[in-house]
Amino acid sequence: MSVEEGIALLFLLAGCAFYLAGTIGLLRFPDVFCRLHALTKADNVGLGLVCVGLALLSGQARVASMLLLIWLVGLLAATVSAHLIARHAYERDAPPEHEGPS
Amino acid sequence: MVTKNAHQLGTWPTAKSLAWCGQVFVALTLVWIALNGFEGLYAGVPAAFAAAALGTLYARGQPYPWHPLRWLVFAGFFLLESVKGGTDVAWRALHPALKIEPEFQPYDIELPPGLPTTLLTSLVSLLPGTLSVRLFEHEHVLNVHALTPSAIDSVRRLERMLGWVFGAPRPNP
Repeated sequence: MSVEEGIALLFLLAGCAFYLAGTIGLLRFPDVFCRLHALTKADNVGLGLVCVGLALLSGQARVASMLLLIWLVGLLAATVSAHLIARHAYERDAPPEHEGPS
Repeated sequence: MVTKNAHQLGTWPTAKSLAWCGQVFVALTLVWIALNGFEGLYAGVPAAFAAAALGTLYARGQPYPWHPLRWLVFAGFFLLESVKGGTDVAWRALHPALKIEPEFQPYDIELPPGLPTTLLTSLVSLLPGTLSVRLFEHEHVLNVHALTPSAIDSVRRLERMLGWVFGAPRPNP
């Protein structure tokens, strides 16, 4: 195993660790809002680290730029879906008289 | 909807619509280059131009001046904050005592509506301890779900940064 492969392996393992932590948060946190925190943030970092590991393994700038795009699109999907789920959960649970934040 | 589009078609091209079209064209061309390299640009450039022109006709946004260096600084800031956010929530999820004090907090947005507010609403969910829930009062108040009461400070930092990137007046500290 070369040095590059060793570093890439560390990034991949760290990425998997963040995914695992996000899943544990999904199971342990008490409600839908807290669970969304775990899924969006931990998985975002996990995906980023996996992309860095794969980019190092490929050693090609073009593959790295595609992985960067994949990460950015993944971020966009995660944050938009988290906002939509949170808004739906808030509107479902909030009584009509508490429609505003104040 | 028809009236609005007809109005836009009738007033096109204006300086703002041309600026928006140019920015979308450059962004789409860069995406093409990231995906395909410099090969096939003879197809990518016309495709990017067609997409930018159609987008300008039917879904034009407010163009802002580009500050590439500021965007670079912002990318570094966002990268650091999102790593902090992921590490923070992973630590809280794994901690035996589950150290969270979740609460909803209203946040008064001082950024202009449109792209800056959309970016703020989207990126809040990737910052340490905050989740954007809903916009109120014509996009002036964002309801934020915070894992700890002090987490709202990261939204303020993000808003100041976005105001600087877009050249908007900086919110009060």
